[in-house]
Amino acid sequence: MTRYATTSSLTFLILLLCIQPLPGKIDFVHQVLPILKKNCAECHTEGQKKGGLAMNTLSEFLAGGEGGEVAVPGNPEDSYFLELVNSDDSDERMPPKGSGLTDEEVKLLHQWVEDGMDWPEEIRLGESGWEPSLKPRKITLPIAIFGRTHPIDRLLDRDLIKRKAPLPSPTDDRTFIRRAYLDTIGLLPTPEELDKFLADTKPNKYGRLVGGLLERDVAYADHWLTFWNDLLRNDYTGTGFITKGRTQITTWLYEALRKNMTYDQMTRELIDTKEKSAGFINGIKWRGNVNASQTRNMQFAQNVSQVFLGINMKCASCHDSFIDRWTLQEAYDLAAVFSEKPLELERCDVPTGKMATARWIFPELGQIDANASKTKRLKQLAALMTHPENGRFTRTMVNRIWAQLMGRGIVHPVDAMHTKPWNEDLLDFLANRFAEDKYDLKKFIHFVMCSEAYRSSSSLLSKEPGIDYAYNGPLPKRMSAEQLMDSIWQVTSSNPKNANAKVDRKFDNAKPVPSEILSFSWPEKISANWIWSKEEAPKIKLRKEVTLDEKPQSSGILATCDNAFSISINGRYIARSTAWEKPVKLLQSDLFQAGKNLIEVEAEMFGGAQGFVGQIVLQYENRQEVIETGADWLAQAPDQDWSQAQAVKEYGQAPWSKVLHSQSIQDGKTGTDPPVRASLVANDFLMRSLGRPHRDQVVTSRPSSLTTLQAIDLANGEILSNTLTKGAQNLSRSKKRKDIPVWLYRHALGRSPTEKEERTLLAVTQNSTDHQGVEDLLWLVFMQPDFQIIR
Amino acid sequence: MNLSDSLQRRQFLKQLGLASTAALATSGTHLWGNEEIVHPSARADSCILLWMGGGMAAPDTFDPKTYLPYEDGLEVKKILSTFPAIDTNVDGVKISQGLENIAQVMDRGTLIRSAIQPDLGAILHSRHQYHWHTGYVPPITVAAPHLGAWMSKVLGPKNEVVPPFINIGQRLEGVGEKEELKAFTTAGFFGSEHGPMNLPFPEQAVQSVQPPKGMEPGRFSNRYKHFKSLLDQNPNRDNMSDFQGESMIRSMESAHRLLQSDEKHAFDLTREPKDSANKYGDSRFGQGCLLARRLVEQGSRFVEVTTEYVPFLNWDTHENGHTTATRMKKEIDQPVAQLILDLEARGMLDRTLVILASEFSRDMMIEGVPGSTAPDQSRARTDKLKEMKQYGLHRHFTGGSSVMMWGGGVKKGHVHGATAEERPLMAVKDPVSIEDLHATIYTIMGINPKTAYEVEKRPFYATKDGIGKCANGVLA
Repeated sequence: MTRYATTSSLTFLILLLCIQPLPGKIDFVHQVLPILKKNCAECHTEGQKKGGLAMNTLSEFLAGGEGGEVAVPGNPEDSYFLELVNSDDSDERMPPKGSGLTDEEVKLLHQWVEDGMDWPEEIRLGESGWEPSLKPRKITLPIAIFGRTHPIDRLLDRDLIKRKAPLPSPTDDRTFIRRAYLDTIGLLPTPEELDKFLADTKPNKYGRLVGGLLERDVAYADHWLTFWNDLLRNDYTGTGFITKGRTQITTWLYEALRKNMTYDQMTRELIDTKEKSAGFINGIKWRGNVNASQTRNMQFAQNVSQVFLGINMKCASCHDSFIDRWTLQEAYDLAAVFSEKPLELERCDVPTGKMATARWIFPELGQIDANASKTKRLKQLAALMTHPENGRFTRTMVNRIWAQLMGRGIVHPVDAMHTKPWNEDLLDFLANRFAEDKYDLKKFIHFVMCSEAYRSSSSLLSKEPGIDYAYNGPLPKRMSAEQLMDSIWQVTSSNPKNANAKVDRKFDNAKPVPSEILSFSWPEKISANWIWSKEEAPKIKLRKEVTLDEKPQSSGILATCDNAFSISINGRYIARSTAWEKPVKLLQSDLFQAGKNLIEVEAEMFGGAQGFVGQIVLQYENRQEVIETGADWLAQAPDQDWSQAQAVKEYGQAPWSKVLHSQSIQDGKTGTDPPVRASLVANDFLMRSLGRPHRDQVVTSRPSSLTTLQAIDLANGEILSNTLTKGAQNLSRSKKRKDIPVWLYRHALGRSPTEKEERTLLAVTQNSTDHQGVEDLLWLVFMQPDFQIIR
Repeated sequence: MNLSDSLQRRQFLKQLGLASTAALATSGTHLWGNEEIVHPSARADSCILLWMGGGMAAPDTFDPKTYLPYEDGLEVKKILSTFPAIDTNVDGVKISQGLENIAQVMDRGTLIRSAIQPDLGAILHSRHQYHWHTGYVPPITVAAPHLGAWMSKVLGPKNEVVPPFINIGQRLEGVGEKEELKAFTTAGFFGSEHGPMNLPFPEQAVQSVQPPKGMEPGRFSNRYKHFKSLLDQNPNRDNMSDFQGESMIRSMESAHRLLQSDEKHAFDLTREPKDSANKYGDSRFGQGCLLARRLVEQGSRFVEVTTEYVPFLNWDTHENGHTTATRMKKEIDQPVAQLILDLEARGMLDRTLVILASEFSRDMMIEGVPGSTAPDQSRARTDKLKEMKQYGLHRHFTGGSSVMMWGGGVKKGHVHGATAEERPLMAVKDPVSIEDLHATIYTIMGINPKTAYEVEKRPFYATKDGIGKCANGVLA
């Protein structure tokens, strides 16, 4: 149907009516279509479905709307729409706007119905809403351009070329490493990590970086917990807990993330629940009467369809949806899967007398046995949801992850998966890939992050993109409240002491003890020395290089420091303790490698005695090798060169005596957890202000802009101000004042300040005698868009 | 600001598009549908909501019934009011003893005696308060915006420098049901740019617009100066011109504009002349009323002042109702009257709508409405009075409550609606639902009650489903 035809036929129609009131047989195209186009199209075509009625085609029109059928061919009396277009009641009349149909027009429609409603199939009043196929769609990859062989790039590049858009160029390494760290583990790279990466000239440095980050299981879980808590509406405080109308799934969820439980398995455990994960489908039980759409049964239908399928069932919980194809019946049928009792449909809170049958919404994949027990029904639903042919399931999740990493979903918004993606092939390819990789979330994240697309310079937009969005590289992302707090805490070592989340972050516990570790035994004797740098500095570094002929089967670390230390091996953070009487003791199968290994310790004393002591045991098939602290280690005080460590005391002597032999240390566990992260503590004023949601509802995106009230909180809020005070004290203790600006810029922003900037920064610290200058410096850096935005 | 000023301003804002409100970053929420919403012309430019959190008993405040004094052995079912009625300066309108000052400003406003609320099965303050403040009964599937957020969203700030939505007197930490309170003390899906600035302690309000504790003003302004220098010196300045970065810089600017403005002195109660401050009394609520007046004077759009809801405290009288009501009336009487008089003296009352309301009323006998399944929550159950703590209205009544409105656009010395003279004290004339009450408030403020914004591709209306109808009898 072309616009030309419509306009001309309309003119023709008017002429026709003047001359000849009603010809015998109605001509749809020339007589009826213009009326429909003029009076109905605005609200009932092109994805619009007011009253649930779509009129793009005859079959849609005949299917009727929310209130049932509106047109019956050959039967004007039963064709309700004729009544509506002829009504005098302004609340009822269609169309509601304008002067309505003329008597002639009404007469014409009447006759058209009486004649049997001829409406050729190929003639459409508008395009129906786009409906994705449910099943996975096989994608053939286009050829690679300019050697960009990653499948994601092959798909994106083809599209860019077609649009004659330039291929986004790769971003610089400093931007990349900051982006990669924040996206995988929600932390900033340290200046050392940054230098190491910049200096890396070996092949595949990007892939190796991402791979290494994803292996940091605790940090990964700490970061992604925020995304999943939002999605699964899990929180530590909030509505419902006080009356036991709600339970957490925190422990289960965290463990699933640490172990990288596959997504299909997670889904099965969330739907076909174990006790630990039941909090999700059970929803929130509110006290008192609630709207029929907010019972636990309906919450189940809404949350399951939104989270796993990107379907908004909220509309259909009250009435047939106006915006997509879901009906009240389908919403209730899904709820009935969960319901203990027979469920009666209520339309906008009014009982209808109709009963729901436990069913799910994509019968083409199979159906639930409505007569089975609730347990069985849930099991069946879990199986259908994770069915290999359920493309909607995989597309929904890959789209969510894409949006997290690239700043915007391939389908946007991420909960409206019936919306046409801006690159359908890409979405389907990713979904297939995710399924082929056995729903391995980390593997998928790794896959996306290894594309040239992820590594591209981000695309700068002057305003929030709308429907005209076209991909031109990843979008900059505003740090979440959690990323911001974590980064500030990381730079200033001011993490909170206690977590609200009950999760297992012990270094080794989550992984099953490998068989080779079972044969491990700690030596009785410890002949280590307490060591420190020759200079009496409060914060020092220690290191020891060891070259091994072969990789040990397992290794044990037993160490402590007066007062605090953290240990890394080959650049990988292993453990820390902040109290000398709580040593680190752990076993691990893959701490060391054949060849050169570097043990690095950052040690700190808070006052009084100082010393670090440790024993590292390498277990081979038939022998043990022991590395102990002593004068052969290297030490470095701030601003000094590396030199031999000084043996302060032999192990066993006062004041520490035989602290490493203490009975209270259990085998295989670290003394303390890594620093507490923002995702693990209850929401506070500052995080709430920065957009961490109240998790009564499923939340799938965070606000992208900073508001004035938030800015006021950042300018003078107590929480941030206290954090900065504490952070300034920490930094002043461990760093020389004049070094702070450069170090801070490198850690926080990933670059050194220019000379000009450094002058400004030094001016801030120079004029103050106490920590105030450092405090201001921290604020100045943390407030910069360069800090709060992941570019 | 007169009527045509306000119209002009609206026009001006429209033409300006985002430019004028750009100081507040846009959150991307847009109006529902293609239809042009026609707003009524505003009768008031600012709104003050005096919130009687916890359920203020109408028969013991604004709708006195037959009074029976305390007497040992008195049958409680006979009790309707526990205070005698007093005359007001409006002929034939009586209110409850203890409100003598308010009685003298009744000629400046309209008393609605027929406000009604739904019975939600169990009477829960937080759910009813959510309903009252947002127009929607929780739980709902999206986070509903607060009344103040609607005004901020639709009308924008009245003075760009002053936050449009300020919430005074309610602690959100360290009190019972705090999570439930937070759930509606928010702009919901409008995004936090329209959310409340919370000032739980009026006398500390100034801290919210001051440099952080212990920071000299000089250091504070220097810090911001350095911030701007660093932005300019940033070698990547050109790469920061994305909307995320720009909005961040803009918001920092407008925050510092407030913190360095003259308007910020409105937050500082010590700047109020002593004799004028004393007239508000020294209660937290009284000081809150004073603060509200100062903020509205400087151009805040919506200010709520609460007597504070804390379970079983203040108006939430599950026992000892008479004694507590005596205290609460003493707390509100003088400052509320003073607020009206002050606004009037400043020529502002005509363009300021002041509302006094509560989530529901109370009754000696009935929980919810007659026939309700709501459990009895009285803590002083008895058939006959044995001790003073049993004397008072201890049950939550949703069938008829009082709302007082003064100023901008409402009739003067008028009573709208009525409740029955005998129990049950149901609204028997011109009942006003929450939807209709909100429609009335919105109409006065120049907001069409059918205004809807799109959320999750659905319309979300200012009054539930757009059904609220303005109680025309209330408007002047």
